[in-house]
Amino acid sequence: MSVETHAHHEHPDVVGSRNRLGLILILVADIAMALSVLFVFFYLKGQNVNNMWLPAATEDTPATLALSSKGTWYVTTLAALGLLTHFYGLKGVRAKNQTQLVLGGGLALLFSAIALVYQFIQVSGAPFTATSGAYASCYFLIAGLNTLHLVLTVFIALGNWNRSRLGVYKSDHWHVDIVNIWWIWMTISSLLGAFALSFA
Amino acid sequence: MTTMMNRPASAPGHSAGKKGLIERLNIVTAFALGTVSAVVVWQLALKFMPENAETAFFFNREDKIMLLSLIAWFVGFMTGIGALIGPFRWAMGKDLNHDENMFLAGKDQGLKRYFRYTTDHKVVGIQYLVTTIIIFFVGGTLAMLIRTNLGHATGGWLQPQTYNAVVGWHGIIMIVATIIMVTGPFGNFIMPIMIGARDMAFPRLNALSFWLIVAAIPPVFISFFTGGITTGWTAYNPLASQSALGMNGYIAFICIFAISTMVAGANITTTVIKMRAKGMTWTRTPIFIYGVVASVALALPAFPVFFLSQIMSGMDRAFATSFYDTAHGGSGWLYENLFWIMGHPEVYVILIPAVAALMEMAPVFTRRPLFSFKLAVIGIAGISGLSILVWAHHMYMSGWAPLLNAPFMLTTELISIPTGMLFLVLIGTLWRGRLWMTMPLMSIFALLWNFMIGGITGIYLSDVPADAFLHGSMYVTAHFHYTLMGAGLTGAIASLVYWFPKMTGRMFDKKLSWVSFWLVQIGFNIAFMGMFLVGLAGQPRRVESYAEVFSKGNLITTMGAYTIMAGMLVLLHGVIVSWRSGVKAPMNPWQAKTLEWTVPNPIPLENFDVLPVVTSDPYGYGKAKS
Repeated sequence: MSVETHAHHEHPDVVGSRNRLGLILILVADIAMALSVLFVFFYLKGQNVNNMWLPAATEDTPATLALSSKGTWYVTTLAALGLLTHFYGLKGVRAKNQTQLVLGGGLALLFSAIALVYQFIQVSGAPFTATSGAYASCYFLIAGLNTLHLVLTVFIALGNWNRSRLGVYKSDHWHVDIVNIWWIWMTISSLLGAFALSFA
Repeated sequence: MTTMMNRPASAPGHSAGKKGLIERLNIVTAFALGTVSAVVVWQLALKFMPENAETAFFFNREDKIMLLSLIAWFVGFMTGIGALIGPFRWAMGKDLNHDENMFLAGKDQGLKRYFRYTTDHKVVGIQYLVTTIIIFFVGGTLAMLIRTNLGHATGGWLQPQTYNAVVGWHGIIMIVATIIMVTGPFGNFIMPIMIGARDMAFPRLNALSFWLIVAAIPPVFISFFTGGITTGWTAYNPLASQSALGMNGYIAFICIFAISTMVAGANITTTVIKMRAKGMTWTRTPIFIYGVVASVALALPAFPVFFLSQIMSGMDRAFATSFYDTAHGGSGWLYENLFWIMGHPEVYVILIPAVAALMEMAPVFTRRPLFSFKLAVIGIAGISGLSILVWAHHMYMSGWAPLLNAPFMLTTELISIPTGMLFLVLIGTLWRGRLWMTMPLMSIFALLWNFMIGGITGIYLSDVPADAFLHGSMYVTAHFHYTLMGAGLTGAIASLVYWFPKMTGRMFDKKLSWVSFWLVQIGFNIAFMGMFLVGLAGQPRRVESYAEVFSKGNLITTMGAYTIMAGMLVLLHGVIVSWRSGVKAPMNPWQAKTLEWTVPNPIPLENFDVLPVVTSDPYGYGKAKS
């Protein structure tokens, strides 16, 4: 029964409302983790234990310098563009305009993929390694969380675009509404990371 | 993600006489694919990861290889059980069709459905029940190893490092078992029927939360053979970063378990908020539901923090980051904060549903309404709210933020107030009730006794000066066993006996339930009173040998532990015998008024032919005659 039962006995709006709440609750967990990451960043920065937040140069190793936060803001901007284009698609499906939905979803997919690639380039090109003190550790943690979010977003955006293309959302579109909630959180999460890294 | 069936979709590769992929996957394919994935990644990592790459203090090539292999195990296992079919079919735009959904629900599959990615909440409940029993059996066996070793002052039965590993393993296994012991079996099997729903809000997520736990077990099992968890269940850093490879098993175990808890939390909460029967207002919602929701709602924000703490622990080990390495800018206090921000709410994640289950039973066996339903709800909400503000009482002696000791002492002691409300509700319900002396009813008395001792001894630990003396002693061990086992496990066992007829269609053997109850409760009080004595006398915890002066108390504790073991074996025997050949249960053997007792045995696949409409509260038993 389960899923099938719901489909036969319940209105799509009821199912959509339930799914929306479920996603929001899962996001509560993700938000708790993202806030914990920020706590880790500012706690270790504030403590600066043994002056090793950004270690000074030694005979063997050069000083660790904080990375410019410009790159992380670029990733956030790409995420925000993805959100905007997805919202454009959502507005389309609400107005029964399937072409706008497919276009918006496709562009959102494109922006999420570019953001992911850019994030990867940025991490792999960092001028320090994971062993370069507490700041470097936090940088990789924040970048790692954002990369994970982006990977999930690419998958969701791909599925969403594909389903739009196949015309699945002609009769109801609560999936697209829910995907939009994810986009909003993913963008905010990216913004929080960029914000933290601006205070290195 | 739940999908709609408003358009037909065909199952790829599924035609007459040919099995579709969804029908081929089960626990065997899951273990096979998980094992193959782990071995392949292990071998590849050995081959391609340079041996001379160890460039930093914590960096360890073996850690990296082991963690990669465990991740491969996890991905392989979840693929092999079929957890990824739903998301990928969603992405492909080919939603599961009617037959596939019926197959996933376990229709007409007999016992096989218990070994598949089955979505029916009743199957998931039974899966949780059996798994919990197995985990308790393993954890209990480890407890007996500990107590046998401590039966003599010089120990010696186990090597010191092995002893440490046994203690760590026992700790984490029992914590996980107690977290899932009520919300897993009864939250899944009973709760949806109790609120008048046909299933959980997200049946596939329900199956996911269970199979994640199964996937988490092998890593912790492997840890025992790779140096063990020698840090105790708290796995404090940087000690954990410097421990043997077994810590990687702990990290993988916790991360997977935390995901399971988050998924279950979202699912259960959504089910209760959105799927209660018509007419089931919040004041007509059974108190057990409040307990389950409070528990999972607490876990929802708490476990991600634990998850993160372990991710960072793994990064310190495998990538030489320095979150907890003081020499390189990290902080051990950071770990302690993250751990206990989860760790103390987790105590109430365990306790609240167990106490709520007993509050659910109290009206049934006293034949009178629950005394002050609103007070019970306020008590549960109060404990939940305060529990997130008390974590640093575990860190009084660590030296972190001494100025905060007083505020944390205050918040911790404030928790006594809502806890007292729950006591008042139970005593008020029992007072002048027509007591039906069953094992679940006696469990309420046992809970009141055990929880009172656990609670009062906890007040001393929340007090900074007293904690300075008691911290790290056997007193602490006795205290938390009185709460988690004396109160929590007592509630869970009572739940088992109470809901056994509905879950299995058989009555639990009455005589065996009583024998088990008395053996466990007497043994428990002997064991942990003895432990209080040696703790107050100064015996530290986590030691494998001790001074001769503590011999008598330890011997008493070990004798008590063996009595508990006997009681638990009787209980296990009772479960097996009653399940196999117990007296067939009528639909409502306790004459209770909640909805789960209105469905026949065996329960139909969709629970209710017609969804019920609730017109009164579930405790309308009338007043007791004095």
